[in-house]
Amino acid sequence: MSAATAVAGVVQVVGGVAVAPLIPGIVQRVKARLQGRPGPSALQPYRELRRLWRKSGVAPTPRTIIYELAPATVAASLLIALVMLPIGGRSPGWPVGNDALVLVGLLALGRFAITLAAWDTASGFGLMGASRELTFAVAVEAVLLLVLVLIAFPGASTDLVALSAQATRPAVWGEPAHWAAAFAFGLVVLAETGRQPVDNPDTHLELTMVHEGPLLEYAGRELAYLQWAAAARHWIMLVLATELFIPQPGPFLARLAVLAGSLPLWCVLLAVCETTQAKMRILRVPLFVGAGGAVCLLGLASWFAGGGS
Amino acid sequence: MAARSAGRHERAAPLPGRAMSAAGIVCVAGAAVVGCGVLLALGTHAWRLALTVQAAGLSAVGVSGAAVLFGAPHMGVGFRGGFAPAFGVDRLSGFFLVVLSLIAVPAAVYARDALRDVPHPRVVAGLGGVFSVALVGLVAARDVATFLGFWELMTLAPASVILVVRQDERARRDVFAYMAITHLGGTGVWASMLVLSVHGALGGVALHGGGVRALVAVAAIVGFGTKAGAMPLHSWLPRAHPLAPANVSALMSGVMIKLALYGLIRVLFTWDRPVPLWVGLTLLALGALSAVGGVLYALFQHELKRLLAFHSIENVGIIVLGLGASLVFASMGRWQWSAIAFAAALLHTLNHAVFKALLFLGAGSFSTAVGALELDRLGGLLRRMPWTGGAFAVGAMAIAGLPPLNGFASEWMTLESLLHVAVYGPFGVSVAGALATAALAATAALAVFCFVKVIGLVLLGAPRRPETANAEDPPVGMRGPLVFLAGLCVVLGVVPGLLVPTLAQLGPGAVALSRGATVVLPSTGRLPTLALATGLLLLVGALWRAARGRRAAPSPAWACGQFVEPAMAWTSAGFTKPLRLFLEAVLRPSRELTVRVEHGVVREVVYEANVPHLFDTLIYEPITHAALRTAAAARRLQSGSLRTYLLYLVGLLALLLVLARSGVLT
Repeated sequence: MSAATAVAGVVQVVGGVAVAPLIPGIVQRVKARLQGRPGPSALQPYRELRRLWRKSGVAPTPRTIIYELAPATVAASLLIALVMLPIGGRSPGWPVGNDALVLVGLLALGRFAITLAAWDTASGFGLMGASRELTFAVAVEAVLLLVLVLIAFPGASTDLVALSAQATRPAVWGEPAHWAAAFAFGLVVLAETGRQPVDNPDTHLELTMVHEGPLLEYAGRELAYLQWAAAARHWIMLVLATELFIPQPGPFLARLAVLAGSLPLWCVLLAVCETTQAKMRILRVPLFVGAGGAVCLLGLASWFAGGGS
Repeated sequence: MAARSAGRHERAAPLPGRAMSAAGIVCVAGAAVVGCGVLLALGTHAWRLALTVQAAGLSAVGVSGAAVLFGAPHMGVGFRGGFAPAFGVDRLSGFFLVVLSLIAVPAAVYARDALRDVPHPRVVAGLGGVFSVALVGLVAARDVATFLGFWELMTLAPASVILVVRQDERARRDVFAYMAITHLGGTGVWASMLVLSVHGALGGVALHGGGVRALVAVAAIVGFGTKAGAMPLHSWLPRAHPLAPANVSALMSGVMIKLALYGLIRVLFTWDRPVPLWVGLTLLALGALSAVGGVLYALFQHELKRLLAFHSIENVGIIVLGLGASLVFASMGRWQWSAIAFAAALLHTLNHAVFKALLFLGAGSFSTAVGALELDRLGGLLRRMPWTGGAFAVGAMAIAGLPPLNGFASEWMTLESLLHVAVYGPFGVSVAGALATAALAATAALAVFCFVKVIGLVLLGAPRRPETANAEDPPVGMRGPLVFLAGLCVVLGVVPGLLVPTLAQLGPGAVALSRGATVVLPSTGRLPTLALATGLLLLVGALWRAARGRRAAPSPAWACGQFVEPAMAWTSAGFTKPLRLFLEAVLRPSRELTVRVEHGVVREVVYEANVPHLFDTLIYEPITHAALRTAAAARRLQSGSLRTYLLYLVGLLALLLVLARSGVLT
């Protein structure tokens, strides 16, 4: 293993586990500044995790083992997803591989676990969020796979490391297909991280919750897992956005610099989007995400019109 | 190309005068034992013993099938042209025998206890055995007459079982629909098989003439597609499957519809090959329609067995997508990927057989324990029936295509195949591949949605009626088969890589895949199932331990300070409402609100919502009505009056004379 690959491995684990909570922290901070409030510090998510880690849990009745296993399953599936991400176009050969479809499967496993937990306590608000989240997932997964088809064209591979190598080709700049995929992926990011206009992470009104709904019953360490998982989902989506879609130079250090520079930029973009956009009606979300699918199909046509370079 | 087909033919050629192999002896003995099991059930009162005998015979058949699949010499003869009865088992048949026995043996063991609550258990046990014999015979048939004979027996056996156990009019009407639709569609099977036989294609003669070949392909797709339950030819499936006893439902959904795909594979991949591109694209379209349509209608079902039947349609769609991708790759000359897509389809065939049999048997146990299976009236069964409930949950997770279980492995391979159809194909094929990929991804997400609903309503939450609150796990004879099948789901999910290289050799094209726990496809991502399963197990265990054992305050679920009352419980319709509203334009749900007011006071509010099965209302009903109208018009001819019939005869005679005179008849 070369030094670069080792560094990539360290960033995968340390970045995913320890830096991820900073992302929602920065977004909240920037959003507050944009709205003219001082807002909490960017480190606030860490403080909350610490607080939750010390608190005792809540045991709602009725429940089964599924309620107890759900937070661990969500966190475990995201932990495995973290080490699949390419960092600077590299990844040490973890035994779990780097396949994009497996990553989609792991995200689905987390969704399955948390929505089942909502059924387990049969809480009305939890199920409301769960049913909405599962409805959105249909459009999200379909569009995500179309994005994957588009970026798999040059390399014919679904391996994330191979896919991230495509972003270093100079031809990427002039490929409409690539930018169509990037646009659609942006919509997927908004839906998957639960940001406005899809979902409002700040809401305290149970009736409007989507991702937060099934979390309502949890407390203590179990809630800490779930909150960390929400942050890790931001990390995964934003790292993928940089690694797969930003045209960049090939050398590892340069790519690492691009990654480090782009993450705060994505945070600011998310904050701006969240400040300027109102939350949309729930039934419009699948159409909103599905628009990405239509753009992907246009991108596909453009790929063939361009001679499939 | 010519050399390839010659090579295949040589392998499948009859081997006269050779002594029967050990596998062959085991297979014939097993089939004979199953036959004894049938006679025992029908002739004596020892139907439980008869089921044990059947299970033993079917395991022998399965073992011999596995031997052939993994390299033992072929049994019996190869396919031959004429009508003389012939039997044999090659590797593809061996695979289907393995699938059959993996389902039929647990089903027979399960039936030993489950049939106690069913009317006429002796007859059901006997007919179930006949059904198994028909399935074995169909797979082993090596000439067209035997094939078609067992094909009809396979259709009739479950219908007779249903008529034995269900006496009500609705059941009989549904059985009639089943027979009518499968027989009308079944003419496609007869047409394609007989045309192939006449041209000697079964004996290895290449089929010539574009018209004939297109006819065979279309007839086979219609005929076998009807029996497989592919949309839009599926309408019989959600009617017939829920009616049968659980062990027969498991065989119908797990094996019978797969054998229709077996026939389709034989026609399109062996006898009518190489098929043109449009056949592959047609299969892709039918597969995508069945997958999405099946799961979508499953989501809006409120009865467990009917919901599972719709999921069979979905999974047949996924298998057909794999087969279609394989044909498309073959017509593009990408043999390696053609073999991979074929292996994906076969792997999903096996996987779906396992988890669907598990779910149907589980549904049978729930039905024994609590009666009716309306989803909104179950609940909390995981606590009351931990063995059945746990196994059912594993099956549900597998069918939802979640890692690290078996459904994910085969859906992953199918997705990879479809994605590569998009990547390698020219423009039109590429668009088809991309749309099929997106359709399969949406199907997977919808399946997760549906089984979250099913697990939630059946296994979790509070019991919703008294019978549910007092349910108990059935005896060990009914639990064992479920646990066995759930174990298979895990094993096939963790080490599919041991099986995939073997399956890839059965298809067109030769691909050497490495054998190991990980599924490695050439120059694309890999599916390290073993590492994923181990990683998930260890991490979930560690995180769970770190969080539990601390003080936890008991509290009711949060309902804004109110107590959670049974009337506030979520329903199947409520949970799927966002999707139903979003898809209103496609699904056209109906809803009716009736308010009864007495003296200015609202006494009763009745809300009825329904998602109509549009294939029935828009396609089948108009056809049925037209057929009935035509029949009614034709009936006027049959007045029953002798004089009218004499008039017909005289008219016919006059017509014939005129025709003869004018020289048309010569």
